[in-house]
Amino acid sequence: MNFDLSPEQKEMQRMARQFAAERIIPNAAKWDREESYPAEFVKEAADLGLLNITIPEEYGGLGLGLVEEVLIGEELGYACMGFDTIILASDLAIVPIKIAGNDEQKKRFFPLLHTGLGAFCLSEADNGSDAGALKTRAEFAGDDVVLNGTKMWITNGGVAALYVVFARMETEHKHTGTVAIVVPADVPGISHNKLHGKMGQRCSYTAEMIFENVRVPRANILGEPGDGFKIAMKTLDRTRITVAAGSVGVARRALEESVKYAKTRHAFNQPIANFQAIQFKLADIKMGLDTSRLQTLYAAWLVDNNRSHGQASAIAKCRASDVAFAAAGEAIQIHGGYGYMNDFPVEKLLRDVKLNQIYEGTNEIQRVVIARSLLK
Amino acid sequence: MKICTVLKQVPDAEASIRTSGSGVDLAGVTFVMDGMDEYGVEEAIRLREAGHTAEIFTLALGPRRFEEAIRTSLAIGCDRAIHIETDEALDVITQARVLADAVKKEGADLVFVGGKEADWDSSALGPALAEALGWTHLDWTTKFVLTGTTIEATHDTDAGNETVKLSLPAVITTQQGLNEPRYPTLPNIMKAKRKELRKATLADYAAHAPLTKIASEAIQVKARLNKILSGEGPETAKQLITLLRDEAKVI
Repeated sequence: MNFDLSPEQKEMQRMARQFAAERIIPNAAKWDREESYPAEFVKEAADLGLLNITIPEEYGGLGLGLVEEVLIGEELGYACMGFDTIILASDLAIVPIKIAGNDEQKKRFFPLLHTGLGAFCLSEADNGSDAGALKTRAEFAGDDVVLNGTKMWITNGGVAALYVVFARMETEHKHTGTVAIVVPADVPGISHNKLHGKMGQRCSYTAEMIFENVRVPRANILGEPGDGFKIAMKTLDRTRITVAAGSVGVARRALEESVKYAKTRHAFNQPIANFQAIQFKLADIKMGLDTSRLQTLYAAWLVDNNRSHGQASAIAKCRASDVAFAAAGEAIQIHGGYGYMNDFPVEKLLRDVKLNQIYEGTNEIQRVVIARSLLK
Repeated sequence: MKICTVLKQVPDAEASIRTSGSGVDLAGVTFVMDGMDEYGVEEAIRLREAGHTAEIFTLALGPRRFEEAIRTSLAIGCDRAIHIETDEALDVITQARVLADAVKKEGADLVFVGGKEADWDSSALGPALAEALGWTHLDWTTKFVLTGTTIEATHDTDAGNETVKLSLPAVITTQQGLNEPRYPTLPNIMKAKRKELRKATLADYAAHAPLTKIASEAIQVKARLNKILSGEGPETAKQLITLLRDEAKVI
């Protein structure tokens, strides 16, 4: 048993923390207010190597693991959960190619992700948790596949270099009839509408993606036609660990802001930190934070060591995001009236982290995953 | 050319420091590379990027934990590192003598070191190192240009700044304004793993008997008068001015 990080992991953590403190935190409130996508800062992060770190070395990537990604994710989530999402949602395009792509596809697609973002197109207006019920159609035409349909709430939709799109073939069984197709962003027929009015994570670019007679070679299909649903589920089994990592970052931020405030805010002639009502809140956040972080790193370690990880990743994602949402709520409560105002950073934590309980499988779906693994 | 960047690891500027017994208690404190030394590392890398053929090595004298700051320098771009590991709290002159011996043994031509060490707030290490080496030296450097073996550099003085010319070998102390240190990139962090970090001990170098020993340490406590003025605004303002002028002597 060893809880130590390697010197390189510590160095990455330190660099990500410094980048977050100097470049993200000072700007996050502005991006949130203006609902603006921080393109130049995403580029900075990419230049530092923080983007798409899990692309294998043989395809020109850094070949790092999910443990490293979790360490970075916590730091980005601490600074701004929306920014974290931009960077880490890109994994949703890497993982399907990694787990189901062949050598030729990896050689062709991974270079697009060396500096570009990836996006994962599964959800539609009429289906989210019931992922198999998708309506986007894939029709075969000679050596090509033609896509038609509209995807909803797509993170990085419109700013990505590459999309992994899930679609239905003809009218077969809903799970075995899906196909996963890689669609580079420059293929004709792709358009998008940026979605406005999000409650939080407002700097991440979320779009409705429209695929209109989008024609790509059959060679862009990941795995076999019909593997789509399985690929999507296996992908989410991994990527939701990064949602857990961001949540851990949010919980840590909620705790640190609360401790700082509780020590300096006075009531009844003393710092409010003297009151047990406040102390218990801090202790509860700390317990949730530490246990979530351990579970998140454990789930990441399972993936990196090729162990079965579906249940552990569901626990990490569900637990960490529930903890972080509660922590953000308590941080506002500790800050009182100030916490409700956007002059302080805690109300943004709550708005941002609400999404962590929803995307990449709602926390209800996570509980289903956990329960099914117990009862099978 | 060989460039040596001397660095220390110090408590993060935001760390809260306590004393326990007769010394400073550093338990639970986050450490970072001394910010002043970072400018030196950055400048050395920039010299190479500007076309100078140079091997850049990091030299550090201190406890085992210094390794983290040393690795940061390797991740930023230094080629190799020597860590003279010791838990002894050496005074600056003794540190300078040990480091000077190491610089000589490695055959460096140019040494960068922070203008001030953030832990003890001393500005002596650079000048003492130059003295021990018998080299020329420039402190508080804000601009540095190397042509062949000639340096043209600008540094701060009490009243402004001056630009001077000096020749290698030299010790240059660095500070804010010289450059904007970069972040280590992830690929470079991974590459640094394969770079040499050589461990050495004080016994490998000459002259390390400490000249000064710390007897005790205390953290300054700022006492407040807690004097509250009462009365109407204009009246208390007059009292305040009198107090600031006659008692505090600040205006």
